[in-house]
Amino acid sequence: MKQFIAMTRVSLRQVIGGRRIIAVGLVALLPPIVTLTTIGSYVDRGALRQFHDATIGVIFLIVIPVVALILGSGALGDERRDGTLSFLVLRPIRREAIVGAKLGAAATATFIVAGSGALLSALVLGGMSGVWDPLIPLLISVAIGSIAYASVFVILGFITARAVLIGLIYVFVWESGISFAADSLATVSLFRIGLSAYTGMVEFAVTDIGEVLGSVQPGVGGALVKIAVLAAAAVAIGASFLRKRDLVTKD
Amino acid sequence: MTSASGPAWAADATVETRSLSRWFGQKVAVSDVTCAFGPGVTGLLGPNGAGKTTLLRLICGLISPSDGELTVLGSDPRKNPKVYASLALVPEEDAVYGFQTAREFAAYAATLAGTDPAKADEAIAMVRLEDAADRPISGYSKGMRQRAKVAAALVSDPRILVLDEPLNGTDPIQRAHLIDTFRRLGDAGHTVIVSSHVLAEVERMADRVLAMVDGKLAAAGNIASIREAMSDIPYRLRVEAGNARMLGAALLERHDVSGVEIDGDTLRVDTTDLGDLGRAIPTVARRLDARITLVEPEDESLESVFRYLVRRR
Repeated sequence: MKQFIAMTRVSLRQVIGGRRIIAVGLVALLPPIVTLTTIGSYVDRGALRQFHDATIGVIFLIVIPVVALILGSGALGDERRDGTLSFLVLRPIRREAIVGAKLGAAATATFIVAGSGALLSALVLGGMSGVWDPLIPLLISVAIGSIAYASVFVILGFITARAVLIGLIYVFVWESGISFAADSLATVSLFRIGLSAYTGMVEFAVTDIGEVLGSVQPGVGGALVKIAVLAAAAVAIGASFLRKRDLVTKD
Repeated sequence: MTSASGPAWAADATVETRSLSRWFGQKVAVSDVTCAFGPGVTGLLGPNGAGKTTLLRLICGLISPSDGELTVLGSDPRKNPKVYASLALVPEEDAVYGFQTAREFAAYAATLAGTDPAKADEAIAMVRLEDAADRPISGYSKGMRQRAKVAAALVSDPRILVLDEPLNGTDPIQRAHLIDTFRRLGDAGHTVIVSSHVLAEVERMADRVLAMVDGKLAAAGNIASIREAMSDIPYRLRVEAGNARMLGAALLERHDVSGVEIDGDTLRVDTTDLGDLGRAIPTVARRLDARITLVEPEDESLESVFRYLVRRR
């Protein structure tokens, strides 16, 4: 356990450090700015509808995926490419623990950054309109979304050096486009995992944005099961890669 | 293929390879290598691109073999991570976290190895990095980074220590100290495998040498036998000195010098006995009042030596 905590702590420092944090920090400022500009003089139900129409989409379709992609893809991938992965793998530690720590760090970092943006936007909503209901559900669902995306992007970053490009195509072509084409495609969409948790917790959310979920049912329980499966699969796949793949790429 | 009982084999082997090969596409990096490493310091010698780093990565389980077998303490390290409780690597590349201090880095290595992180202080002292131990590694020189990596490797007192060009970037004093440290570990019964492309470095560290070129084992044995194997072919030594023309003329009179090229202050001296000539040059230079600024074997020459050894096998 000491090893796992140490790896997570160092990985968190590594993932959040450097210039990346400035880039993702700017992305995280989008939700409060959008909230500020769209709420205007709306109050109560009107303000909540505006928040659901504009801000929620920005948080779940842009901020969480982009932040998770930038931070998560580097968690294992950067270590593999700069040679520091050898420092981790040459230890008497289960490969699952290494991937788990990386995933934990990436999800936590994503939540810290995207969650800050979500928190600010909820505070702006509450401060301007007196509507505070979304605050806690939003943070919970951002945490769920962070785990979902980090699970995928940590592994993507390990597999390919072009993870950011591929991830952006996934986010903006599949998630924001193709996955809306048919209800059945919604089940293989990551942003709907967090969104389903949110709509399951906030009154009127299903009315305002329920159609975006497609065939996905609103509710926290289903979302938790999905991220548990995703995280477990990511750990198993990542550990298998660590056992079978070459772990250094530099000559 | 080398037999599992020849000079490439070691008594009480902790690391064994049998017909080990690794290729990357069309390029064969390690070819049919059968050898063993046991307690003491073993030098892995060869020119750049000989396959030394690939062999060390295979031994550490960082890459998988294309063919052949490898065991470390009886296990395949890629299948049994417990082996890593007894194995540590100092890689050639800068595998460090720049945001950590050397003390944090060594303590982190200790924690991951299941050792007391307080042992980091001892490891830092062993590599004489105390003065800079609390500064971020990102501000370190190449030599300091090397020592930070060595400290992180030594912190768990590994039974097998794998060092890939560990003296790169170190100054002569640091180099002497690290060589002494590796020798003491070898004398204490640790298996120390150290790669280098510089024969003189390996000679100071290792009693036993495996020479590689083009991915193959070119020669194996103690330093004397390697030297003997190399004795009938010319080496090229690069000497930078004042009064180079007179120094060149004086060296050419020696029986072990077969040719001298002079280019400004640089001499390229062909010899069949690198050791004797290396020892004689300072004496000759002193007599002629020629100030020497550099004496080193030329890589190209060393490579030709290895190629010659491969052809002879």
